[in-house]
Amino acid sequence: MAEEEEVKMEVEAVQSVYGDDCVIIESYPPYLHLHIKPRTADVSSQQFVEAAIGIRASSQYPKEPPLVYLIDSKGLDEQRQTLLLSNIRDKACELPSCFMLVALCEEAVERLSAMNHPDGDCPLCLYPLVSEDDQTERLPFMKLMSCFHCFHSECIIRWWNWLQIENKNNAKNVSSATLHLRNGGDQQDRNGAVEESMGNCPVCRKVFHAKDFEHGLDLVGSHSSQLNAEKTEIKVDEIFLHSDLENMRQKFEAISKLQQENCGLIGSKSEQVVLPSINPQNTFASSEQTSAEETSGQSQNGAAANSSSSSTRPTTSKHWNSGTRRQRPQNSRKHVKQWVRKDIGGGAD
Amino acid sequence: MTSSSAHSRKALSKIACNRLQKELVEWQVNPPAGFKHKVTDNLQRWIIEVNGAPGTIYANETYQLQVDFPEHYPMEAPQVIFIPPAPLHPHIYSNGHICLDILYDSWSPAMTVSSICISILSMLSSATVKQRPTDNDRYVKNCQNGRSPKETRWWFHDDKV
Repeated sequence: MAEEEEVKMEVEAVQSVYGDDCVIIESYPPYLHLHIKPRTADVSSQQFVEAAIGIRASSQYPKEPPLVYLIDSKGLDEQRQTLLLSNIRDKACELPSCFMLVALCEEAVERLSAMNHPDGDCPLCLYPLVSEDDQTERLPFMKLMSCFHCFHSECIIRWWNWLQIENKNNAKNVSSATLHLRNGGDQQDRNGAVEESMGNCPVCRKVFHAKDFEHGLDLVGSHSSQLNAEKTEIKVDEIFLHSDLENMRQKFEAISKLQQENCGLIGSKSEQVVLPSINPQNTFASSEQTSAEETSGQSQNGAAANSSSSSTRPTTSKHWNSGTRRQRPQNSRKHVKQWVRKDIGGGAD
Repeated sequence: MTSSSAHSRKALSKIACNRLQKELVEWQVNPPAGFKHKVTDNLQRWIIEVNGAPGTIYANETYQLQVDFPEHYPMEAPQVIFIPPAPLHPHIYSNGHICLDILYDSWSPAMTVSSICISILSMLSSATVKQRPTDNDRYVKNCQNGRSPKETRWWFHDDKV
């Protein structure tokens, strides 16, 4: 039967698109499981949801749309689970009598991608994790890599620090007030439960380690009162906003060195340059380096040039190299708006 | 006696205040069944009325819980006791102290007053006999200097009740 062959080919197509995320249970009538992750989360710390769905068609397919159901999910409450499924089912109804398996899988991934943010309140302070209206500013949030539970970065780190301090105190003074005498074994258990470098998720009690929230540390830093730290962070953020700028930065570091060796003398030619206006004083300070930019004969931004003046660069830049720009989309967006065109002749104001 | 032991009477931190205000609002919108918060202007000490659940041995009985919040709530557990007369229960001492792991070693900052209340009611509801803990007299005598239950080293040995 020609149609059966076509359906089987469609199933093969799904398999080739989704690879290991797709498990074909029957190729005819089509029956498959699909593991979906948000498309926007190529850094795992930025993945807040995932789901496994089942798609099962009858022999009437494609005249009859397949059954779509949820097998498992993470980070989705009941409401969002229902929404996800009804979105996929709606899609099926939009495509009557079409081969729709790939389209349904795509719809699922798209919809899930749109849901890639934590839902509800921070379990620690009880205030919302994600702003509902985009107007009010919210604290940065993060998930524990170990269990997907989300918190404001500040809140979970406060809990972590609290546990570490408590653990130290426990080690120091074993409480004298004892209702029932514990034997030595119990004592060990208790101290072992919260070792120096461990904590328990406040929601599920799963043990987590420093590495499970490291990705949130710089988020907290950006809200700290240390203005200097904040400034340098913003700059670093900008650099990585444009992936090719890291290469450029290295280039300029070399040029800057050369410039220093030559007492700041480097040949120049007039050129229009794009500079960020966020940090006028820094831009000004680096006006020497604008001559370096000219030498390169490329359009260049001040942030990269600034970063070459090593005094303002954070020593932890190595850490930020690992994809910080994705972790702070709000910040990045904010600063993009602040790019302005500047004529190099006018100097960096 | 046990009411306000000196150690936890430091004023609430700002974080604790914000969190408690949030909890209070949530309680007003959606109070746990069987509980009534007695309104006072003291955010740091809540008095909560507990009604024994229908169909349990505490049905039609009313008790009062006193919840005192430490400076660093919710990192630190609140102190929760029954105001005497406390219900007769194998895990509740006559001075009102409650032997319940989540109030001490197993506290988690994701818990709330509301979730504590539900745990306590569940503990009451699963009891089949009205009796004091076997070491009641010894323990209560030890606490006569007004010691908080949070200073007790509890041993949680019974997960049935």
